[in-house]
Amino acid sequence: MQILIVEDEDSLRESMVSYLEMEGFKCEQAGNYHTGLCMLDQHDYLCMLIDLNLPDGDGLELVKLARENQDDTGIIIISARSALEERVKGLELGADDYLVKPFHLSELVARIHSVVRRTRIRGAEILKIGVIRVSPEEKQCFVEDQAVDLTRKEYDLLLYLMANRNRVITKESIADYLWGDYGGGYGSYDFIYTHLKNLRRKLEDAGSPDYIQNIYGVGYKFSLD
Amino acid sequence: MKLLTKTTLYIATLSLFLFFLMGIIFFQVLKNLSQADLNRELSGLKEVVESHLTQDPQHLPIRIVGIDSLSVQKVDAGHRQEEVFGDTLMLDAASNQFRTYRYLMYQSARGQGPLLVKIYKSTAPTDQLVERVTLMMTIMVICFLAGVFLLNRTVFANLWKDFFKALEKLKEFDTAKEPVVLGEQDIEEFAELKDVLEKMTRQLSRDYRELKEFTDHTTHELQTPLAVIKSKTELLIQSENMGPGEMKLIQAINASTNQISRLNSTLTLITRIENRQFTGVREIDLARLLDKHIEMLQELVELRGIELKKTYSGVANKIQMDPGLADILVTNLLKNAIVHNREGGSIAVETGPDRLIIRNDGAPLPFAEEDLFRRFIRDHGKGKGLGLGLSLVKKICESYGFLLEYAYKKEQHVFTLVYSF
Repeated sequence: MQILIVEDEDSLRESMVSYLEMEGFKCEQAGNYHTGLCMLDQHDYLCMLIDLNLPDGDGLELVKLARENQDDTGIIIISARSALEERVKGLELGADDYLVKPFHLSELVARIHSVVRRTRIRGAEILKIGVIRVSPEEKQCFVEDQAVDLTRKEYDLLLYLMANRNRVITKESIADYLWGDYGGGYGSYDFIYTHLKNLRRKLEDAGSPDYIQNIYGVGYKFSLD
Repeated sequence: MKLLTKTTLYIATLSLFLFFLMGIIFFQVLKNLSQADLNRELSGLKEVVESHLTQDPQHLPIRIVGIDSLSVQKVDAGHRQEEVFGDTLMLDAASNQFRTYRYLMYQSARGQGPLLVKIYKSTAPTDQLVERVTLMMTIMVICFLAGVFLLNRTVFANLWKDFFKALEKLKEFDTAKEPVVLGEQDIEEFAELKDVLEKMTRQLSRDYRELKEFTDHTTHELQTPLAVIKSKTELLIQSENMGPGEMKLIQAINASTNQISRLNSTLTLITRIENRQFTGVREIDLARLLDKHIEMLQELVELRGIELKKTYSGVANKIQMDPGLADILVTNLLKNAIVHNREGGSIAVETGPDRLIIRNDGAPLPFAEEDLFRRFIRDHGKGKGLGLGLSLVKKICESYGFLLEYAYKKEQHVFTLVYSF
């Protein structure tokens, strides 16, 4: 479960490392292009997080080399540049995802899970926490063996919560994750509330305990305790 | 008016006026000259008549060479007549027409008694001369004008060739591309113009590049510390020993950070649009674009109990623009119609062959209509909007030359986007 983080901003890199380690990932860090380059083939990484703006080289070059080296590694570009051309270029060079700074750590974790599922496990993985089972391939959710009929957004929300289990995830990060540019603040917290209410009701109706906790109006937490 | 037309017009007006004036003066001078000539001739003839009278006071010859007509009258001894020249009309017996004559009238003392002599000389030959000369003049003037016209056309085209070339190059000039380079100029003023233009476009290109770099750097420099704050607050939230009070503080920091980050990226976007950094123009199907975004916003529509009606004109509506900007344009217009609606209100999305019309219910604007598209103008009662959505839309429209109009009719906000003319 190794993850390589190539990011020149120490403070941000440390945050990412702390959060990912809480999630149980083991992290290798590189603060510049050359260290990153040296570390590329030292391990069989599950996923690489690569910043494009590095002081001593172009992150895109690193993405290209990483892709040539290992093709079952997930590669996520982390960049402050949000231009469409940059994204397209990054994805063309072999990146699996493109995350624009500043991002939510919870979103980063969800993206890592999703990329890893696609590249490593080829989507066949079934996520199981408590009595809830989710099969990302078919976008289906079960409580015990009973299928629960969820809407697209409810499903996405559940997957996001499960990917960040035992972590508090903020309402902003949920809004950004579910709606991206379409959310933009306007009443999106009302939606989250509505979707969450429906999700809880559906899961409880299927016989699941309520795993979703409200955390002081800051956000939510999916946890077995 | 074109430069050539204008110059030609000036030259034509001025030369016509000048030639007209000169024509009048020339005609007068010519006439005076011919009159003086006739007077001189008449004076000469007077000497001839006098010598005839001296030789034979009784009889004058019937014809004296050079005199067209002669009248001699006896006058009373006390009569005094000064010598005068004059013009008169006389009936010509042969052609039965009046002709003009110049005459000299004087009193002769050569005869037995005082005689009043009038010597007439026809002006026909001199008049004819004046006429001919005037005609010649007119023909010459016309030829001259035609010549000036043609010369102007050819010389003009030749002289201004470099100017028009430079103009073409300037029209094609794009701040994003290379500065304009013009060829060598042999006309001093054009050489100066070339220097100024080259210097200006170089400056423009450099400013543009620097601004672009600055924008790029600013986003990067701002997004990174924001990313740090965001990640740190998120880590802080995970901390086990946080009470509700601390959580609220962190939440407030988090929310504000998100807002700054959104503000920053939107302002960057506006700058990028103003700098025309979006150049990937493609043909976009308006109906498909609208459907895509309406579906994405469906939830928002349903949550507010809004009824959304689509009316697409049968013709395929194609817009030529950057796909990313097209997305931003349509999302912001639709989002605006949803957010500034009333609960259970309605939205009508309509396309015509050249336009997109979005109508939505809602209270009148709480600010002046002309402020609608300005930055940071927003309805403060309505949540956390940045007040940048519509100014973004306006900027996109301006950059493509689309027309965007707003009106408030029948308790509805109406946005009309005309994208082809």
